[in-house]
Amino acid sequence: MIEMKPAVKLPTTGERRMVTGDYAAAWGAMVSRPQVVAAYPITPQTMIIEHLAEFLAAGKFDAEMMRVESEHSAMSAVIAAEATGVRAYTATSSQGLALMHEPLFVSPPMHLPIVMSVVNRTVASPLGIWVEHNDTMPQRDTGWMQIYVEDGQEALDMVLQGYKVAEQPLVELPMMIGMDAFLVSHTIESVDLISQEDADAFLPPYKPVHAYLDPQRPMVVGAAAPPEYIQEVRWETDLRMRRAAEFLEETDREFGRKFGRTYGGMIETYRLEDADVALMTLGTVTSTAREVVDRLRAQGERVGLIKLRSFRPFPAERLQDATAHLKAFGVYDRAVSYGVGGPSYIEARNALYDTTTMPILSFLAGLGGRDVTPQDVELMFKKTLAAAGRGRRASGVHWIGTRGVSP
Amino acid sequence: MAAQALAVAASHDGYSAIAFPFFGAERRGAPVLAFTRFGEERLRVRTQVYEPHFVVVLDESLVETVDVLAGLRPGGMVIVNTTRAPDRLVLSKKAKSATVDATTIALKHTKQAAVNTAMLGAFAKATGLITLEGVEAGIMEVFGRRLSKEIADRNVAAARAAYEATRLGEGDSGRVYAKATKWLPTAQELPPGLATPPMETPFGRVGVGSSPSNLTGGWRVNKPVLDGAECTNCLLCWFYCPDGSITRGEKIVEIHYEYCKGCGICAAVCAPKAIHMEREIEEEVKA
Repeated sequence: MIEMKPAVKLPTTGERRMVTGDYAAAWGAMVSRPQVVAAYPITPQTMIIEHLAEFLAAGKFDAEMMRVESEHSAMSAVIAAEATGVRAYTATSSQGLALMHEPLFVSPPMHLPIVMSVVNRTVASPLGIWVEHNDTMPQRDTGWMQIYVEDGQEALDMVLQGYKVAEQPLVELPMMIGMDAFLVSHTIESVDLISQEDADAFLPPYKPVHAYLDPQRPMVVGAAAPPEYIQEVRWETDLRMRRAAEFLEETDREFGRKFGRTYGGMIETYRLEDADVALMTLGTVTSTAREVVDRLRAQGERVGLIKLRSFRPFPAERLQDATAHLKAFGVYDRAVSYGVGGPSYIEARNALYDTTTMPILSFLAGLGGRDVTPQDVELMFKKTLAAAGRGRRASGVHWIGTRGVSP
Repeated sequence: MAAQALAVAASHDGYSAIAFPFFGAERRGAPVLAFTRFGEERLRVRTQVYEPHFVVVLDESLVETVDVLAGLRPGGMVIVNTTRAPDRLVLSKKAKSATVDATTIALKHTKQAAVNTAMLGAFAKATGLITLEGVEAGIMEVFGRRLSKEIADRNVAAARAAYEATRLGEGDSGRVYAKATKWLPTAQELPPGLATPPMETPFGRVGVGSSPSNLTGGWRVNKPVLDGAECTNCLLCWFYCPDGSITRGEKIVEIHYEYCKGCGICAAVCAPKAIHMEREIEEEVKA
């Protein structure tokens, strides 16, 4: 009835199994050996914490797992744990992340390298449980590094990479890893479950440099500070965020040498070298966009793709280099900054202001979890192609597949 | 979980595979959608499946409201849980069909009307693309790991029985569906902020007071049957019914089958034992 092609053998270092993205994230957390896990359940993150509890019950790892009464408490607990000098992990989603907003600001200036998986889900209203990036994007200015992944494997790998980057003495910033609700969290696919031995060889035990609990060296942490001190703290935190870029790139390369797969660092490019126009995507839409690039290439269109992996730090220089030859650039977002456009479009325009006068278009689609189909992505490419060579005036914000507004 | 188990089965048999649910308010019996892709060299498209090669219908009552063949590819197949022979299916178009009475099989082997694993056996038989061993591996991985080996074993038995019982044939066309079944207003038509007053739309009532138009009787496998002579009108069932499907009467209560989901709580709490549960076989589907 239908022709079946053989499957491609994928590189495997540990045990390869069919698991969900939530399972993969939990596995990544487990083999990172956090000593404290504190979390509060919320759909579609719940399975991450359930799986960690299973691993703990089965004796697969050893951590203090704190049951807390809210996400605000979960974040406060992992901050406190990190401040004693141990590795801590948490995970949340949507309203849960919104409730964490206040304590999120605490850890970056305090040099507390927490890693948190965030299953990206729409924030009310209207209430929904499906994917949208309007939970993580508004956390842009809290000082957390922010990564977006495409599949379960990346959700796992980035927890390990995340600690490695976050704990660099020159960085010491927390990282949130965004994974699309259901399209990653509940999607079952083949994942290389990295062994504890390999994980240990990649990620050594955490050695806190600044904040830790030691009776021989007592210290005040989380102090109040008058205006004489805070501005310097802000500058120093900003400096570490700038430095993090280099470590994100280097850590991904090191990961590649050990595990045979890399993600391109802060951005990954696909068929970009000789492209006239390109689209930048983040999250799972990237997978679909790769397919669309191949289809359009087969029709003779010179299109390419940039996968935005790191939203903070924002890869300004790499984007400048990657887009230098383009005639138009489209930026896809799964969140809107009301009245302006997509958040990563705003960032891209800012990053490319000095180096290009090509049109940069904002595409909004898939909000509230609506499916972004290959046809939707194709429309984004067509609009970008149509703007090629027309200069900045051809920029603009396009709502894709919005009834009564645009196809 | 069946879509996941199918993906594991496909992976076991050497294919690339990926599966995900369209996650709504999933409860057993509620209409749900799940998607599995397998076989292509690289599975990159991460969207819902709009043009399937195979449609698996776990609950026959769905075909009354949903054109399950809407996106079916030419030469595709529909696999339905029904007591009917494949040639007696009447859907929107002629299509290769396979049928199996998965509900009876599931009740026998798993003691529950969870038909998903039986339908995996039917899928293996009907398509020939997945082996029964693959299905067993899928059930062991997805159900065995999460629940228990004993539960997985029972589901494997159901899948095997369904594999043997699946019949192949060709269904008929003739069933007509409303063109659109969902209210999809434009941005301008949408009530601001989704603050929705009672509204009549071409697809039924929405907003306040629209619940009565949401008929959930089709979710049911077993139906509560009231013996009026035994009913004392004590109203325990009326009080406990989680769906308000029982109303008070002068002498006895009344069960509203258009809403009753068949949970059986009324029968369990009935003091004079006037309510018992009965397996309900789908009536002949109206063409």
